[in-house]
Amino acid sequence: MLTAGDYQAIWLTLKLASLTTLLLMIMAPPLAWWLARSQTKIRPLVESLVALPLILPPTVLGFYLLIAFSPEHFLGEWWLSFNDSSLAFSFTGLVIASVIYSLPFVVQPLQSAFVHLDKSYLEVSATLGYGKFERLYKIIFPMLLPSFIIAGALGFAHTIGEFGVVLMIGGNIPGETQVLSILLFDHVESLEYASAHKLSFILLAFSMSVLVVIYGCLQKRQQRVLNA
Amino acid sequence: MLKFNIQKAFNNNAVNDNVLHFEGEIELSGVCTIFGDSGAGKTTLLRCLAGLETCEGQIQFNQQAWLNTNALVNQNKFLLATEKRRIGMVFQEPRLFPHLNVQQNLLLAVAKATTQEHSDNIFTIDKLAQQLGFSELLTYQTTQLSGGQKQRIAIARALLTNPTLLIMDEPLSSLDISSKNLLLPFLKLVSLHIPILYVTHSIHELFYLSKNMLLVNEGKVEAIGEPQKLFLDSELSLRKFAHQGLIVNVQVKTIDLTEGLIEGLVDGQTLFINTVEEPKTKSIQVKINSRDVIIATKPIMDSSLLNCLSVQLVDFMKDDKNSMILTLKIGSQFIYARITSRSFHKLQLEVGSCVYAHVKTMSIIN
Repeated sequence: MLTAGDYQAIWLTLKLASLTTLLLMIMAPPLAWWLARSQTKIRPLVESLVALPLILPPTVLGFYLLIAFSPEHFLGEWWLSFNDSSLAFSFTGLVIASVIYSLPFVVQPLQSAFVHLDKSYLEVSATLGYGKFERLYKIIFPMLLPSFIIAGALGFAHTIGEFGVVLMIGGNIPGETQVLSILLFDHVESLEYASAHKLSFILLAFSMSVLVVIYGCLQKRQQRVLNA
Repeated sequence: MLKFNIQKAFNNNAVNDNVLHFEGEIELSGVCTIFGDSGAGKTTLLRCLAGLETCEGQIQFNQQAWLNTNALVNQNKFLLATEKRRIGMVFQEPRLFPHLNVQQNLLLAVAKATTQEHSDNIFTIDKLAQQLGFSELLTYQTTQLSGGQKQRIAIARALLTNPTLLIMDEPLSSLDISSKNLLLPFLKLVSLHIPILYVTHSIHELFYLSKNMLLVNEGKVEAIGEPQKLFLDSELSLRKFAHQGLIVNVQVKTIDLTEGLIEGLVDGQTLFINTVEEPKTKSIQVKINSRDVIIATKPIMDSSLLNCLSVQLVDFMKDDKNSMILTLKIGSQFIYARITSRSFHKLQLEVGSCVYAHVKTMSIIN
């Protein structure tokens, strides 16, 4: 069975993934909307920045974040002006890093849905008397609900599997920064293969389930609405 | 009253900017049709009036300003958002929300209308479902419906917003005959309660529905007036439509369904019209194509022709190298006849000549 340490890591991982997903679901929709609709010249630059974690080695991102979190740099210094401990090797630091690292996984499905959304639905909503924001949350959000669920699920699942960035900026502090993937690495290093098997299976089963739901149901449902 | 003076610029390329300039004042009662060639700017004008297209200038509906970008320096420029104009709009495509079923689509309109100040809508979902025949479809997903069914629901949705003006952009253009036969009388009925601004290509819809028309040509309002009058004005761009044939009002006298004939009266003269069903009203409109009219100085006897109308030639003009278009007066109404120049000279026709216009019953479009 799982040990107390395993449960602690699972709880921490779920907490990190939930908080990250919540923050991403607040930040990503307006950003994705802007990326889908904007004609400005800086759009490709912003789009590249958002997509960067898709191809950049996580350790590179982790390295730069580690430097940014250090007290010699602006972010770290500003953080220390009202906190006792540094952002590096803290749970808050992990949340910030996860938000950046999982951002493209949430932005891209939303951006794709917004690009394929027929502008005429917004016009119809206006003629039905719905104002600028009202038409977004009362009509467009329910219409694109599958895409929002896909975006949230991908962001959550991707944060659960995060390893490189956590290793660079979080270290391996049980209860603070020791997430599932780090604990798994720990088990393997200590040749505790039985424990490693259990954690690996949990991660594998979870990831597979998320993808089956996304590809088997949500994506089809969204396509049906967008192609109508 | 709808009064507008608006400019809409399209930046097609850096050198040549295309600017449309629409100016007009329409008394809104019944249906006012916006008519014109493809690409004349009908839809752009309609979208500007609805606030769906940005434009410069002024729009005033009854006592309410919808747009004023020409305000003086010390006044604020003004734009009333589409959602505050209290318009109902029906597009060429139904544009029903695909994630909702029929009833939920309609409820979205009702929900908004009942929160507004004027919530006394004469239309309800039940009434409209009955009149437009979609009571059975309320629980259906919109993706399960045919084009005609979707458009009926789109029209109902627009009416459920309790609009002060209904704006329709070629709503029947992609529908079959049976849907058109249901919707045209319905829209005529609706226009008794709500003024309708209606874009169409169809001369039949124009004459059936509207008392008033707005002729759009090359990005400008060319004329505003009664369709019957504008169609006789040879100075207008309508000429090419009009010369194909005109619509004539006919009073139904008798109906013989065994022979498939309606005997009607055009300003006192008998006209036989082919029919497959009993007309719904005592007064019908038919189209007589100019090329189907035969002119003779005496009535043609002993032929299959049933229709012989005594007419007066009031105007004529050369249509192209070989043909003439004659404007013929029957009481208070007019028809066009297109004949060869040779026939025109052979009959020695001139303005004021009284002649006989013969029209094949089978060629009259009911």
